[in-house]
Amino acid sequence: MAGPLLSIRDLKVEFATRNGPVTALDGISLDLMPGETLGVVGESGCGKSITALAAMGLIPDPPGRVAGGSILFDGEDITHADAARLRSLRGTEISMIFQEPMTSLNPVFTAGDQIAEAIMLHQKAGRAEAGRMAVELLRTVGIPEPERRARSYPHELSGGMRQRVMIAMAISCRPRVLIADEPTTALDVTVQAQIFDLMRDIQQEFGVAIMLISHDMGAIAEMADQVAVMYAGRVVETGSADAILDDPLHPYTRALIGCIPVLGKAAGLEGRMPPLAEIPGIVPPLHLLGRGCAFADRCPLAFDRCRAERPVLEGRPHRVACFAAEMEAA
Amino acid sequence: MTDGALLDVQGLSVRFAMPRRSPFGERLHLEAVRDVSFSLRPGRTLGLVGESGSGKTTTAMAAIRLKPAHAGAVLFEGIDLLGLDAEEMRQRRRHLQVIFQDPYSSLNPRQRVGAIVREPLDLMVADEPASRRDDRVRELFGLVGLRLDQMALFPHQFSGGQRQRISIARALATRPRLIVCDEPVSALDVAIQAQILNLLRRLQESHGLSYLFISHDLGVVQFICDDIAVMYLGQIVEHADRPALFSRPRHPYTAALLAAAPSLARRKSAGYVREAVVRGDPPSPVNIPHGCAFASRCPHTQPRCREERPLLRADAGGAVACHYPLG
Repeated sequence: MAGPLLSIRDLKVEFATRNGPVTALDGISLDLMPGETLGVVGESGCGKSITALAAMGLIPDPPGRVAGGSILFDGEDITHADAARLRSLRGTEISMIFQEPMTSLNPVFTAGDQIAEAIMLHQKAGRAEAGRMAVELLRTVGIPEPERRARSYPHELSGGMRQRVMIAMAISCRPRVLIADEPTTALDVTVQAQIFDLMRDIQQEFGVAIMLISHDMGAIAEMADQVAVMYAGRVVETGSADAILDDPLHPYTRALIGCIPVLGKAAGLEGRMPPLAEIPGIVPPLHLLGRGCAFADRCPLAFDRCRAERPVLEGRPHRVACFAAEMEAA
Repeated sequence: MTDGALLDVQGLSVRFAMPRRSPFGERLHLEAVRDVSFSLRPGRTLGLVGESGSGKTTTAMAAIRLKPAHAGAVLFEGIDLLGLDAEEMRQRRRHLQVIFQDPYSSLNPRQRVGAIVREPLDLMVADEPASRRDDRVRELFGLVGLRLDQMALFPHQFSGGQRQRISIARALATRPRLIVCDEPVSALDVAIQAQILNLLRRLQESHGLSYLFISHDLGVVQFICDDIAVMYLGQIVEHADRPALFSRPRHPYTAALLAAAPSLARRKSAGYVREAVVRGDPPSPVNIPHGCAFASRCPHTQPRCREERPLLRADAGGAVACHYPLG
């Protein structure tokens, strides 16, 4: 079995704030295997997007900085790679699609020109050649009448089509890793379904490894092979999608799954649905995190050790960072 | 039309004038809501579901006269709201309240939250002594799970979920019978969403409230709604009670929405392939197609669908607007 394509090891990212340095990522480790999809799930502020930016070498510095750990791409340490190396990696080896396609496309260039620009930058193609390739890519991502749409400006496209243009741009140089940061949050569900189907088709056709960042457990279930659950800048549980969804070990993962109004379950039930599980309280502000487990204050199973000591990921292949789960297993 | 309905909306239409193409050009209208009828019984929740641009919010806002209607009638406790003059309508407003989607922009940032919750009382029930109103504000804070010492704070000092609790307290202040909930949990994280949904349902049971609940999230709708109206391009395409709609969708669009919504049961590991995918995006509400509005995206389109607009007609307990409803 081949090693991971993208490997994040004990990564620590800090941001300078008015309250002093805040640890946005507190020693997270993730592995993205070739051709697989890794789902990264968590609530707002848990560090999902910072993880994606760090993997692309895009942490804004200052105020942010990588304070420790490493990012390995195909065995190469790119944590402190210079700007030129990062630029050549981005686009050709690792590319990214963002949440809001309207703000990530340039409004004054046509869709075709923007895709062609990426091709001309990273591949040795002339303008005419790049233009032809852009039309082909638009066809690949399922845009009807690609010749005409290549000449459209972003405002003339619907949200779903803009996201397809973003995907076309992202796959233009046949990257091996695609990082998708909440790619469908701004879209309607029928369009979201189309984008997910497209991402799965692309993965099958090009064998690209996808890191899918989402707050939606349903999206993760449908898309991911492996899942990492994040909470307050730490990975609290990782494992296969089935293990995480069917047999969650961390109290946070269990609560997160329990509080989703699940579609389908008890659909035909007469009468009222039972109340949803609740997680009391809110995610603590990062600058107020204590020494112990970040979830301890909201956890039904927390005991003294949880507040004094920070649990680390244990077990294999299903890993969990929780003292209570450890005792349960023992 | 329907006996014992709290809110009975009949043939409601809303249109917005578009800018003229030229000074002498014909004025085009965007038909946001077209001939929508539904009724809501006391103590129940009716969900309005649809994608963006389907007219669900406009329908609700026109029903409580926060947007002007073009045609139709809205009977609230038997009285047509659309026929009332401004003062009569103002008197009615205490029974009709709204919770908005965005708890950040729907609270005045310069007002203390105690004053925000008190304002509807000062406006609507000013005949009550001030001390009674103060007591009511304290009671409301308790009801929605906020501490009394938080009354003197400003909205920015609260989290999103707490702000939505403030919106709920404000909506409850005048003891309304109907609350329009316009995507009240879409801006919240799932953990907070569950708290707010449970709170809304507890309050409904303790206060006998009726909700007109607007959402695009079918999981949320399944949890909180008793009846559901699915909207597409300004029309109701299917109307049924919750068990029927979720277990036996009749309209292909409803089926497509259910197939598209992510669910924990659909796993990549199990080789899940989506059935009933709809193509493309909804058509523009300015140039609505001649026949069925969904015909261009429907997997079962027949020639008749493109020519003749299907009407919403009663069918096995619910109602569906489709020439060829699903089995």
